[in-house]
Amino acid sequence: MSERISIFRDTRHLQILAVLIAAAGAGAFWVRGQLVPPDWGKSGPYRESALAQIASDPHILTADNKCLTCHESVHEERKDSPHVAVRCMHCHGNGHEHMKVAEKGDYKKPETPAAWDNKFPSKVDLFVTKDRAICLSCHMKVLGMPESFKSIDVAKHLEEQGAENVDSPDVCFECHTGHSPGIE
Amino acid sequence: MESQFVFPNDWHVAWSIMIVLYPYITGLVAGAFVVSALYHVFHDNSLKPVSRLAMVTALCFCSCATMPLLLHLHQPMRAFNIMITPSATSAMAGFGFIYNLYMLLLVVEVWLIFRPEIVATAQTATGIKGLVTKVLSLGIKEITPGARAVDNWVIRALAIIGIPAACILHGYVGFLFGGIKANPWWSTAMMPVIFLISAVVSGIAALVLFYLITGRGHSAEERSECVYSLTRYLWIALIAAFALEMLELLHMAYEGSSDWHVIWHLLTHPLRLSYGVLQVGVGSLVPLLLLPLALLMKRWPRLMMTVSALASLLVLVQVFAMRWNVVIGGQLFSKSHRGFVTYPLEPMGREGLIAAIVVLVLPVVLLLVASKVLPVYEEKAAH
Repeated sequence: MSERISIFRDTRHLQILAVLIAAAGAGAFWVRGQLVPPDWGKSGPYRESALAQIASDPHILTADNKCLTCHESVHEERKDSPHVAVRCMHCHGNGHEHMKVAEKGDYKKPETPAAWDNKFPSKVDLFVTKDRAICLSCHMKVLGMPESFKSIDVAKHLEEQGAENVDSPDVCFECHTGHSPGIE
Repeated sequence: MESQFVFPNDWHVAWSIMIVLYPYITGLVAGAFVVSALYHVFHDNSLKPVSRLAMVTALCFCSCATMPLLLHLHQPMRAFNIMITPSATSAMAGFGFIYNLYMLLLVVEVWLIFRPEIVATAQTATGIKGLVTKVLSLGIKEITPGARAVDNWVIRALAIIGIPAACILHGYVGFLFGGIKANPWWSTAMMPVIFLISAVVSGIAALVLFYLITGRGHSAEERSECVYSLTRYLWIALIAAFALEMLELLHMAYEGSSDWHVIWHLLTHPLRLSYGVLQVGVGSLVPLLLLPLALLMKRWPRLMMTVSALASLLVLVQVFAMRWNVVIGGQLFSKSHRGFVTYPLEPMGREGLIAAIVVLVLPVVLLLVASKVLPVYEEKAAH
């Protein structure tokens, strides 16, 4: 490097570049300031106000004990069955709207739930499912299920058991019930 | 192995071929940069013909390095979160900053390397080319010998800073995998080093091929000398990479811990082709024979270059297979150590085979365009 170097003249391009990089950096910093919510990071890597916001969301999942308040015979049916571990909403939907109507208290509780059929005015978010798809969501044979869990190869199982309507959605219910599916 | 018990969160291979491509591309960046540094920092003049090409290769591949990640993210806007609200303890967040700093370094270094041509073109060219070069020249109309001396000094300084930066950029990918302690195929402190050395291998191999394809303007003597030198470096780097990979495997086998039976099954069944045949056989052992053979053929330059090109191609396959075996292989067995899943590579879709080919071809196309637009082969008078 034998050339004579003038600090101002020979590094002018680098000075301009440094100013441009500094300006881009400052710009990025400003953009970041605009994008980060003001209460982010106060109590962890999230918006602090998100906690209150989430907590204020309406509670819509229905617990089984609420269902069983009226449908107590279901408890009897399920209590000795492996399906005691399955929540009502898994097969019947959430029932949040249904519960709201029930909680108004305008309806006298009949002796058996069967007597309610088609009389209770809200099935808006409830369904009585008799669909193999619901059964198979747990019981279809897939890689990874422990051997002890009852899972079936559908076509084989239906053939072995001599099912009558193999294409019908409610074919499972030819032999099983939902609440207590074991065969006596 | 018979029970095939896979935990419910092990059913799917979540990190797809895109996550294979990502370390592959950053590896090419790091490797190409190392070649350029061998000339700029360590003054290996035999590599002078490819010193500019190496920088441009690094830049082209680096500018595409985040594409597979963006394709993998189902909401690409999330990518900015690691930059806007970074976590100090996240290696991935660290990557965001390292990547940006490294990209800036590459852009500035490439700019400085090509500045004489940019400034000269800005004075004569008109239209878009004139406008672009005028902007890139930052209004400078003449490069004094003093300014060129300053530039050369800065280029060297950036190359020196760039070596650890390139190592960190690529080594951290290995660190991410090495830090996953639940996975015996990944969890080893050797992982960053293995990734890094194989990155150097892939970068040199890619440069051999790119140079042989685009550098036809050089004299036969210059070409053969440069390819010879690259071949020598490639051989040394491949020996180191292969030795480390085999050492890691040998260590696992010798330890014979409870993990070994699942890893052995992994290597001999699902990864039989990609590990045994491609990574070890065709990709490592064959080039390990071909490369010294090429070096022995110095007297017959055309033959030497052909053998070297063939070995380089195989080495590129080896490094891709290595990335595949790490990324996909590590997800093919359950953390229960008793079950295996398969990874069906779909042709279509955002993370499919076609998208992967496009992502991999794009930086090569960029490089071919760049080699037409930019004087990647240095004019004799420039230095």
